Amino acid sequence: MSVYDINRIKVPQAASGTEDHTGQTHFVPAPCQVACPVGTDAPSYIGYIWEGKLEEAFEAITSTNPFSSICGRVCDAPCEPACRRTSSDGAVQIRNLKRYVMDAVGHTYDLPAIEVSQSQTVAVVGSGPAGLVAAHDLAVAGYEVHVYEMTDRLGGMMIWGIPAFRLPPEIIQEDIDRLTTRCPGIKIHLNTELGKDVSLDELKSRHDAVLMTIGSWWGKSMQIPGEDDPRVVDGVGFLRRINNGERPQMPETVVVVGGGDVAMDACRAALRLPGCREVKVVYRRGPEEIPAREIELHHAVKEGIQFIYNTQQIAVEGNGDDLALQCVRTESGEPDEDGRRRPIVVANSEHTIDCGLVIAAVGQQSECDHLGDLGLMGGDRVATEWESMRTADPQVFAAGDGAFGGSTIVMAMSHGQRAAYYIKAFLEGRDDPLPYRTPYRTRRVEVAQDLQWEKNPLQEPKFFGIGDKPIEFPEIEATYDVNTARDEAARCYRCDAETGSADYSVGHREDLFSMARTNPNDQAKLKAMFDKRVRQRPDPFPDGRDATLDDITFLPANLSRLVIDPYREACKVSTDISGRLELDLPFFAAGFDAEASAVKDGLADGLRRAACGYLGVSPLGDGVPWLQLVSPGTSANPEAAAVVYVQGERFEPIDLAASTTQPRGMAVYASGALEDAIVYGLDSGFEFLVLCGNGDPRKSWPELAAPPDLTLIRDAITVLRKLKKEEAIDLIWYGGARSGTDAAKLIAMGCKAVVYGLPLALGMGASISHTGLEFAADYTVEERGEAAANLLKAHASEASMMARCTGKTQLHNLEPEDLRSITIATAAATGIPMPGTRAA
Amino acid sequence: MVTIDLATLPVREANEQLRRIGAAGDDVELINPDARHHLGVGLTSPINVTVRGSAGYFCAGLSDSANFLVDRNVGWGVGDNMYQGSVVVKGNAGAIAGVAIRGGEVVIHGNMGSRSGQVMKAGTLLCAGNANFMAGYLMYGGRIIILGNSGEKVGEDMASGDIYVAGKVESLGSDATLIDLPRDEVDSIMEFLDRYEISFKGHFQKVVNAGKKLRYATSEQQMRSIPFFSFSGASDYWNAKVQEDIFIKAQIGRYRIRGYGGARELPHLSDLAFRKDLSSAGNDMGVLSRVAMKTEIGGINGANPLTLSMPVMVAPMSYGALSASTKRAIGMASTLSGIAENTGEGGMSDAQRDAAEQLIFQMLGGRLGWNIHDMQRANGLEIYISQGAKPGLGGQLMAKKVTPELAKIRGIPPGIDLRSPSRHPDILGADDLVIKVEELREATGYRLPVSVKLGAGRVRDDIKIAAKDGFDFVELDGMQGSTGAGSAEVLEYVGIPTLPAIIEAIEALEEIGARERIQIVLMGGLRDGVDAVKALCLGADAAAFGTSAIVAGGCIACMQCHVGQCVTGIATQDPEHEKRYKPGVESHNIHRFFESVRFQIAAITDGLGYTDVRQLSRDDLVAVTPEAAHITGLPYEPEYRDINPDLQMQAG
Repeated sequence: MSVYDINRIKVPQAASGTEDHTGQTHFVPAPCQVACPVGTDAPSYIGYIWEGKLEEAFEAITSTNPFSSICGRVCDAPCEPACRRTSSDGAVQIRNLKRYVMDAVGHTYDLPAIEVSQSQTVAVVGSGPAGLVAAHDLAVAGYEVHVYEMTDRLGGMMIWGIPAFRLPPEIIQEDIDRLTTRCPGIKIHLNTELGKDVSLDELKSRHDAVLMTIGSWWGKSMQIPGEDDPRVVDGVGFLRRINNGERPQMPETVVVVGGGDVAMDACRAALRLPGCREVKVVYRRGPEEIPAREIELHHAVKEGIQFIYNTQQIAVEGNGDDLALQCVRTESGEPDEDGRRRPIVVANSEHTIDCGLVIAAVGQQSECDHLGDLGLMGGDRVATEWESMRTADPQVFAAGDGAFGGSTIVMAMSHGQRAAYYIKAFLEGRDDPLPYRTPYRTRRVEVAQDLQWEKNPLQEPKFFGIGDKPIEFPEIEATYDVNTARDEAARCYRCDAETGSADYSVGHREDLFSMARTNPNDQAKLKAMFDKRVRQRPDPFPDGRDATLDDITFLPANLSRLVIDPYREACKVSTDISGRLELDLPFFAAGFDAEASAVKDGLADGLRRAACGYLGVSPLGDGVPWLQLVSPGTSANPEAAAVVYVQGERFEPIDLAASTTQPRGMAVYASGALEDAIVYGLDSGFEFLVLCGNGDPRKSWPELAAPPDLTLIRDAITVLRKLKKEEAIDLIWYGGARSGTDAAKLIAMGCKAVVYGLPLALGMGASISHTGLEFAADYTVEERGEAAANLLKAHASEASMMARCTGKTQLHNLEPEDLRSITIATAAATGIPMPGTRAA
Repeated sequence: MVTIDLATLPVREANEQLRRIGAAGDDVELINPDARHHLGVGLTSPINVTVRGSAGYFCAGLSDSANFLVDRNVGWGVGDNMYQGSVVVKGNAGAIAGVAIRGGEVVIHGNMGSRSGQVMKAGTLLCAGNANFMAGYLMYGGRIIILGNSGEKVGEDMASGDIYVAGKVESLGSDATLIDLPRDEVDSIMEFLDRYEISFKGHFQKVVNAGKKLRYATSEQQMRSIPFFSFSGASDYWNAKVQEDIFIKAQIGRYRIRGYGGARELPHLSDLAFRKDLSSAGNDMGVLSRVAMKTEIGGINGANPLTLSMPVMVAPMSYGALSASTKRAIGMASTLSGIAENTGEGGMSDAQRDAAEQLIFQMLGGRLGWNIHDMQRANGLEIYISQGAKPGLGGQLMAKKVTPELAKIRGIPPGIDLRSPSRHPDILGADDLVIKVEELREATGYRLPVSVKLGAGRVRDDIKIAAKDGFDFVELDGMQGSTGAGSAEVLEYVGIPTLPAIIEAIEALEEIGARERIQIVLMGGLRDGVDAVKALCLGADAAAFGTSAIVAGGCIACMQCHVGQCVTGIATQDPEHEKRYKPGVESHNIHRFFESVRFQIAAITDGLGYTDVRQLSRDDLVAVTPEAAHITGLPYEPEYRDINPDLQMQAG
């Protein structure tokens, strides 16, 4: 299946129990996950690997795959060609990363056991990947599952087909042990052959449903003269002997016919056996068409296997001790239905290849006389309907290679999942379940913050080849160490993770990718995408969304106003408060009164560096201008640079008997006190008002609670305008200013200066927790000071940049006319109009 | 010697004659110039031209290899963007003498005006008298010799090059410094003066760039982007992105820079719906033949228009922000789909020219890569005023991307954090702009459409000026547009969205009865044919795609364009990374994306019951959000919202 086929656009409805993710509409599975037949959440486990969370990675890996240790070594990894990094500098090594996790924690870490909770039971015939995965899924659903296996061990082709140098038996055992531990409801019946030790009727009477996963156990013949020579063996049979522990003597030269995975395993196994000096693989098509997995091919070549392409066997010639494979040469013809170029025999190209043994690995087939007698076979497979996984017998299902032909472990596993889904529906009495679809889940792992992610080259694990003692079948390659695993994990593009852009979110991005991979003549796909794209998004500004500074933008200067020249940071930001407080930067700090002295010392250091003042109940230290917050009943401190009388919910006149010469202001946080405070302030010659959009400024971190109430500034301006005293008293804003941009907006709306609270704390190493704000302990006073000064400087550079964009040379020349609201709520709360119109 | 009398021959015809005579190799005398503008503009023959009197703006502008002698004075921008050749002015020169020259020699016997030598890249500008303020402003290379006084702020923000002042250095510009003068340079100056028979005795001081502002002092910590859904809405006021911004700014002490477009949701075309049920639209491929889509852009004033197979173009994106391979792939895709491509800021390479059948050549304030030869082989010329992603600011290209190859095509020193000027040296307002547009037309024989790229802001006013100044079309870019690098805050908070931009543009043009006088290409966050049709319904003549085409060609939206080591080889100049990009493959991907767009445009137009995209109108649309209704004046009819079956399922 192509990752970009129509199903990616026109996603089929999910069946109950297989919904995509838990209601998160943003989630679009990554191409690797789509390419994985069992829907492995590869991006998440890769993310966990980078974070060093191997148990979490283990959970992500094993949740859809009970044979993760096996797959970590021998999965054909369709995820890797689907990986978007493939076309850049090579696919992320997803399989190797899985192996790394499984090697690290696979043998020690078990998921909790699931007890039987259903009364019905299921029989599974055959214990290959399809059968055992079906057993797993059914057991997880609470059913008791009886597995009938004709050999003396579980695993099917995983154990009988793959040689130990690629897949050591203990790895298989590890997965099987984990499976049986997790699923005590799985009962095993070894050495029990269908038709000999047990009949289908017996199974049907013992169990409520039967699943046939009988595998493709038998090699196909080459259909050429002479192949009945005893020195011609079939590939799967050969591997079965080897995997049973035999190490037969080989002739000097072995020829393997075929180009699939069995051929690869057979040729490499033969090479390791005593007596063998050379192995030749004869394949009838060219190197472009060979079906073997690239890495297997690559390893086989590295080990010294010779590949003879475009050569087709026509006969086996046995003459006493001599044996030869008669062949003809082929050339590539037109592509056939599977897209591979058809081999065409070259006339007069007959030749022979001398050898001592021919291993025919030209395909496998199922055989079961018992099922054949019952009329359940169709050719060399169990006749099975893909849409329901049912056979002609309504109680009998089938899956895996035995039902659909030779495939891969992971594909057989997906068959097992699919069969389990339909069997569950059958057991629950649902006749017409929604079509099965691979579930895609994500664990929302954060993207690796690795600075080398774009640069890290593909990390190859160390390859050992046949090793010093080939006959012992030592493993061919190592796994990663911690660092290489992390370096490799960092390479992941994380196609699953949401982007940082709403306009090019993952959903949009994947649609654009799909559009770019749609044949312009493919009407069905074009139409499916059209139907998807023509839909509207959910309203990004639903009812109840607060007015926010985020929803205000600046109008840039273009043609109608001059852009500022010179262009670099040359827009003035300095100001004063009523001519009495000179400010290099239009900023103050606040909110630190209750913090530890080390934090306050850091802030004081930063404010000194940036020449900014502090608004608080208590002073911060020498050299920091202090705007004293004075509560009713307390008095002004002569040390303060200015005094700020805090008003409550209602305006209360201030006792000015002990009047000072310092500049005076009032802090207002309640709209009920606003108008009276303004009138009183104007009458009494106050220099400024501090508008507190987040409530009482004497409290610690009032900004944490909610976004600021912007109506306060709108209403203050309205009152001043009404009194025709707009310039008569300066406004300072405190609440929710997070950036220089926010400050510039507030200044454009009519403020002279802005107070930062929370941003300074965050910049100085605080983090927001459930209980409030916590300062990291590992900052020195100097580091805090530098951070605070840097932040104030940065915010000044942002504010000045906003002003320059609108064509100002002085930040305080910004006006409300330079702003637009992009939401109705914000326009209402601030009085700043929205752009557009075309009023009817 | 041929004599042309400007009292009887209009400048346009005089320039055509000049080119013809130049090609024949004759020298020319221009009499009765009467300070007319654009004399000798676009002349590329090695002939001698004598102007008997004074010349106006841009005398000898955009010329190569010709030698001009002006008897008396010249206006603004003498020798503008000259490649080789010379201009000798016997009298005084106005402002920006020698602006953006890329070679050649400009000799002013009298005084010269302010900002002379602005953004010059190479060559020599000599002033025998005094210079006015900010000589050598933003210069990237070459030398300025001032025999009199320097004027104030000499060398303001120069990136490279040399300024020699014999008189008083009145004040140094920002990031300029005085250094000792090597002997061989004195010899070279004296040789130059001898050649132009200017006698001089005295000493020089040398002004160069101090190097304090060419690179940002501290580099910004690289972070992979934060997903947008974690920072929208009121509940997340102090969201992860805000916190990250604060954290980084507390380290670097300045605004942040990043690439790509804005992060958050804005009112957009996707908040509109079509009035008709389109569920059966596009049910057959016949829509492509039933709907007329061919569109001509840029021909309304007589230039050769761009001929688009559908009302779609590629948005301007520079070689620089993007790798050469990416520009090539986009150009190839534009040709395959029969639409037009645009060079963006970074100049035109042969590969781009060869790849794109129709190519617009863009001129920015820094005049990076701008030259007469590429103008002449372009299919359209575009004056960049601003862009939606960062209107009001010049482009930024981080040092990592300013490779020697790239610096060469742009004519700048390699390895600087390039911050392009935010405006043109010679466009201070609408009146200058008219003269500039004329210069471009003169230089290319009125053959090419001239467009203006405008970031959406005060669209209502700007578009009227654009129409009045005679542009053939405007590329109107809403704030959802993207960029290779820009201030993160400007990306988010400067400009207006694409949706109100088109509304204001159409309304303003209709107010002054000028709708027919200029065409509009709308861009800024358009992603598909559905968006394109909505743009057309609202009055645009065509739609342009930038980021979407990049994504179609392999961009993974990691938003690290500014870093310069793009993992996919798109936004990089690092050859190791660029080789990851396969133009042959990606051009086809981009082409197929455009073909999907074509299908969508056709399907909707057909589904709405029309046979021609020009029949689309705003009556075909409704708004499905209150914001979109407010912005567009379209009726708010939420019942037209298509229900997403996935969402419906989750809700139900």
